[in-house]
Amino acid sequence: MTTFEDTGERRRRTDRMPVITELLDEATLGGIVEEAWLALVGDEEFLVPSLGGPVSDAVSSWVEVVGPWTGSVVLTCARPTAEELARCLLKEHAPPVLDAEDVEDALGELANVVGGNVKGILPGPSVLGLPQVGAAPGAGAPDDTCRLHLLWRGRALTISAQGSPGGVPSAT
Amino acid sequence: MRALVIDDSRAMRRIVSGILEGFGYETQQAGHGREGLDVLDGGWIPELVCVDWNMPVMDGLQFVSAVRANPAWRSVTIMMVTSESEHGQIVRALAAGAHEYVIKPFTADAIRDKLALLGLLPEGAAL
Amino acid sequence: MTLTTTSFDWVRQLVHRESAIVLQPGKEYLVEARLLPIARSLGLADVAHFVEKVRHCPDPDSTRRIVEALTTNETSWFRDGDPFTALSSTVLPQLLGARGPNERLQIWSAACSSGQEAYTIAMLLEDALPNAATRVSITATDISREMVERTRAGRFSQLEVNRGLPAPMLVRHFTRSGADWEVAPNLRRMVTASQCNLAAPLPRMGPFDVVYLRNVLIYFDLPTKQAILRRVRDLMRPDGWLFLGAAETTLGVDDSWERVVVGRSSAYRPLKGA
Repeated sequence: MTTFEDTGERRRRTDRMPVITELLDEATLGGIVEEAWLALVGDEEFLVPSLGGPVSDAVSSWVEVVGPWTGSVVLTCARPTAEELARCLLKEHAPPVLDAEDVEDALGELANVVGGNVKGILPGPSVLGLPQVGAAPGAGAPDDTCRLHLLWRGRALTISAQGSPGGVPSAT
Repeated sequence: MRALVIDDSRAMRRIVSGILEGFGYETQQAGHGREGLDVLDGGWIPELVCVDWNMPVMDGLQFVSAVRANPAWRSVTIMMVTSESEHGQIVRALAAGAHEYVIKPFTADAIRDKLALLGLLPEGAAL
Repeated sequence: MTLTTTSFDWVRQLVHRESAIVLQPGKEYLVEARLLPIARSLGLADVAHFVEKVRHCPDPDSTRRIVEALTTNETSWFRDGDPFTALSSTVLPQLLGARGPNERLQIWSAACSSGQEAYTIAMLLEDALPNAATRVSITATDISREMVERTRAGRFSQLEVNRGLPAPMLVRHFTRSGADWEVAPNLRRMVTASQCNLAAPLPRMGPFDVVYLRNVLIYFDLPTKQAILRRVRDLMRPDGWLFLGAAETTLGVDDSWERVVVGRSSAYRPLKGA
């Protein structure tokens, strides 16, 4: 057997990184989101599928996953929806007026919980990043995106596991 | 009984503290492992610590290792509460010295069950 | 067809009677959501049809499944703790001493539901005995075919394994399977699941050294309770052990059992000569 010098480059060409659609289907992602919602948002808080559509005044939270699959798990909703989610998460501990930090923190934690569970299904080992909040990271290829459009209390919510464009973690 | 709740999410700290206070615990909070160690260093030694994994400055695994390395804190029971759910990670957490592991999302009942297993559920909290 | 007020009230009363848990008005859609899988598994169009059917012709299995679906407060792993620690600390050593080296111990998880009790027993035995699968067999039965299939599959959701299952046991005895956790093959091999109606003549099984008959007798009337205990006894070894639910007793039902304190729980043993 001829031995090759390991240049790494050759390895990247021959070892294709898996795309998310090979690893995760919408039903499984939906199950993860539903369990998170029922446990953290409220045990009567059901999510129903929706057709999607543009969301105005949108805010996103996400966590990065770096491993055999690299990408982000992203939650997107309108800002008032995020406030309502924060209020549900905090339950009786919600202050009368929620500040931006409370809302971002709650939305970030939901991304952490969903993202951590998605990561648990993927081939490992992977590293989970800390939650970030802001404008959603750019999506990668369509076949490297698993996206759910949902309605929570009649409000739009999008959850996606999306590969990073170019296969590297998005710059913060 | 005392519990220290360590999580970088303020919402999660409030949720976990709320659950534990409902069981009769007196609680304190910290935003990462280093802050948690500061609480212990300050002499407030809880019976229970609930600690997240992924946090800035010092993560949960490093916190567990640091606590287990200190004989003065031998009586502290550590329960990791985290969204990290890979089999290998639970093994690592237990190997580092965590006594129990709760996967997020969890319910108050899940925490209650784990505390009952550990003998850390105050009388009357079972209902 | 939506759930009628009469049906919803019937469900509320049933749940309160069997579990003391109060379902507030306004929780109709919780009932809808939790009972839909059961209705579907019985080939019924919706929850309303299912509840109407059971309301007019109550049967213990359906009422039990309704109550269980709506009262998820109790874990089913190591439920109440002591009846399982009693197995490894007291019952197992006694049985091993009383039986021959090649005799297989037989344990029965009657009304096994999705299998958590049966696998709790399997985990305990696996940790207590080398080559447990060759020394013990666990029979798990349930009246529901769906539950028997679930027990055979040995797959549980993350929310289910989060409840009352010690983390060291989770990592020792389970592997991840997609979003779920699956019992290790050597444990699945210890458990044989089959369908069985306790309220009818039982198939030939056992003879059992240990029987777990927990939280199911409460759904039957007194004559049926007595008949079930008689049938169970007939399938047990004379020096066998019966574990009932934490609030259950044979007292006032069947006086052919001797109550024995085992650790911090009770077990019932066939009374000699009864």
